[in-house]
Amino acid sequence: MLDWLKKINKEYPDFWKEYLTKFESKPTKYVVLSTETSGLNPDKDVILSLGAFSVIDDSIVIKESFETVLLQYKFLQDNGLSNEFIIESKMIKMQEPEALEALINFIGNAVLVGHHINFDIEMLNAALERLDCGRIKNEALDVDVMYRKLTDINDKQFSMDDLSEIYKIPKSDRNSSAEDAYKIALVFLKLKSRLGIR
Amino acid sequence: MNTIAEHIADFLKEYPPFNNLTFQELSDIATNIRVHNLEKHAILFQNNDVLHDSFYVVASGVINLTTIADAEETIINKCHEGDIFGLRPFFAKNNYMMTAKAREESIIYAIPIAVFRPFVANNSDVLNFLLESFSINSRHTKDNANSNGKLIPESAYIDQQSEMQYVQSLVYNNSPLTTEGHHIVKDVAILMTEAMVDNIVVCEKNHPIGIVTDADLSSKIATGRYPITETIDKIMSSPVVTVIENVSLAEAQLLMLKHNVSHLCVTKDGTSKSSVKGIISEHDLIVAQASNPGVLIKEIKRSQLPKDLKQIRDRLSDLIQNSIQKNIPISHISNIASEINLAIIKRAVELSILDLGSPPARFAWLSIGSQGRKEQLLLTDQDSILIFEDVTPEKYREVKDYFLRLGKRTTAILEKVGYEYCPNGHMGSNMLWCKSLTDWTKQYNSWMNTPGENSNDLSSIFFDYEIVFGEPKIEEVIENVIFKNAVNNTLFFDFLGNDALKRNSPLSFFKKFIVEEEGPHKTKFDIKTRALMPLIDSARLLILNANIKGIKNTYLRFKQLAITDSKNAEIYLSCAEAFLTLSKFRTVEGLKNDDSGQYINLREMSKTDKEKLKNALNPMKDLEELIKSKFQLTQFS
Repeated sequence: MLDWLKKINKEYPDFWKEYLTKFESKPTKYVVLSTETSGLNPDKDVILSLGAFSVIDDSIVIKESFETVLLQYKFLQDNGLSNEFIIESKMIKMQEPEALEALINFIGNAVLVGHHINFDIEMLNAALERLDCGRIKNEALDVDVMYRKLTDINDKQFSMDDLSEIYKIPKSDRNSSAEDAYKIALVFLKLKSRLGIR
Repeated sequence: MNTIAEHIADFLKEYPPFNNLTFQELSDIATNIRVHNLEKHAILFQNNDVLHDSFYVVASGVINLTTIADAEETIINKCHEGDIFGLRPFFAKNNYMMTAKAREESIIYAIPIAVFRPFVANNSDVLNFLLESFSINSRHTKDNANSNGKLIPESAYIDQQSEMQYVQSLVYNNSPLTTEGHHIVKDVAILMTEAMVDNIVVCEKNHPIGIVTDADLSSKIATGRYPITETIDKIMSSPVVTVIENVSLAEAQLLMLKHNVSHLCVTKDGTSKSSVKGIISEHDLIVAQASNPGVLIKEIKRSQLPKDLKQIRDRLSDLIQNSIQKNIPISHISNIASEINLAIIKRAVELSILDLGSPPARFAWLSIGSQGRKEQLLLTDQDSILIFEDVTPEKYREVKDYFLRLGKRTTAILEKVGYEYCPNGHMGSNMLWCKSLTDWTKQYNSWMNTPGENSNDLSSIFFDYEIVFGEPKIEEVIENVIFKNAVNNTLFFDFLGNDALKRNSPLSFFKKFIVEEEGPHKTKFDIKTRALMPLIDSARLLILNANIKGIKNTYLRFKQLAITDSKNAEIYLSCAEAFLTLSKFRTVEGLKNDDSGQYINLREMSKTDKEKLKNALNPMKDLEELIKSKFQLTQFS
């Protein structure tokens, strides 16, 4: 019965406390975020990789980026997948707790941008809950919604491929969260100037 | 590890100066890049803006660099994918002296100067490239350095220009032919002939001890002073003048003058005691200095790949642009341009033949339409026909097959060069327009004797033709067919006359421009169909009617008509002038927008230009009346 009280008194991890203090000031940048997940159910599925870029003053800052592969042993084992590739690859690898902490530190109070970003946030929230943290507080923008607003189309959703096609974003053969995040960032820049968002 | 940084590094390594850096260095640079998106017409920096802390690389799209001189915006350069610009912060402290504006939606990489500076300091290739680009803004116009410089009334700028000349590096043969002193003259001469070079370096343990050129052979062997069985070291010029790698144009020139030689030997450390790296000939100096038409044509003849031809075609565009800005008469420019276009098409046919083997019968490749009239200034679509001589029926299939393949290959090469395929399929690769001489004769007979009947595809462009490649006799035969049929052929002229006059008039009753009312070119003036085509069609009609052969250019046709039909000379002459003026408007517009210039944006035009354009449209009315009375056309279909 007093569960909710328990929750209030519960001690958050340090990084989360610091994250919360960041919201005392106004956001100064955007962070474009993309996740790769094992499926669509936030309760059962897990995040497999994360990619993010900062957008400051109408430009993508390549240096301020975040990308990592999450070592989800449980998932890989359950599905009988070999993790040899992941081990061999030069990608940065982290455990889920470590990865989320790094991500939360990276995004700070920035406005998040993504494609169907609500789903990404749900996935992150589920993972954060496992670490005894609260929910993500950042404002979020969805490029699909932005595009529909720009064109005044309400009866249709646009996939990332559609948007890449519309804005002639070069296709790449490689596929990763970072790649997706970069594409979303380009689409975002184009939409941002068209919609006149500062 | 940053995936995107590596992608960017991957992109950069294709382009100078980045190709001088290692992948690791590029990745480090790429990590510090900022990616900007510019909407169409967005301005990145303007004349007199404070310098940015970065320079820029075009990732996609086109950026125009412009200066404002005498209240007129002049395009200095267009930067395409992989071009670098905005280099001023490297070399100067004062504000930007040009404007960078997106011609179309573009993505650009901003590379911080602070990050890139160490690489410049440590790598002379990079420095030289940047210096060079700084003065000319983009690498593909390297050869026009001089002419570009003159457009900019900035003394500081011109200084850099001459400086640039000095540091401009040379492209030379870096795999020269070498031999040793004990070889026999005859063998060496055979070697040189096979390699088609005019020089050979004589080496001892890979160090150059002398050089033999065509001049040596003619002065020492051909004169009989030495027998042909002599060893080569007896006749070589020694010692050979050696220079270090990366020698500049000016330096090479001075050395050649000083030592009175025509070749310089490039060695590893610049002395004759190290290994041979290349040979610089006088020809290399000329190529480095000039982008003159002669050099372009020479280069076309040597090109092996469509890519090389494309680069030459790009330089032609620069040449045209510069010539127009320098007010060289347009008739002059189009003569030169069409010669170069002709050479490119010819080379494309040659390359195809090299691939497919010799043709099984004699043939002629004719350019039709604008190139046939020698009026092609912009990259328009390609129109061509192929005529091959009559062969026995059993060989016909095989022969036609060969020529179709030849047509396909040639048009594909031209497409790579930048000439789009003809949307109506008027090309030698089309079954319909790749025929034997008899079939073509029949075709022209049917077009001319029964126009409009079963020939919906009668396009007047078939009556402007110019042989590009092959047997000139075939062209003569076709010409005779046309002119024979034209005599007293009222029906045909009636048809052509109506065709020429059915175009919509360019000006309304109130002398206002009639502009496009809808479509992507709304409010623009269609100069091609409303102004140029009627003149072109009329000129063709009149010249065919007057039975004058061999004059294919609209301007010259009017000039000739003024002589033959002297009572209407005034009209013809004003039409000739009008045609030039209109072509110039179209070319300028086309160069500005990188398209065919068909639609003129009136809003961007100054008032005087508009008046000029309107005046050029005036003679059309008189011409229309003249044609109507001459061919008794009273009603129009």
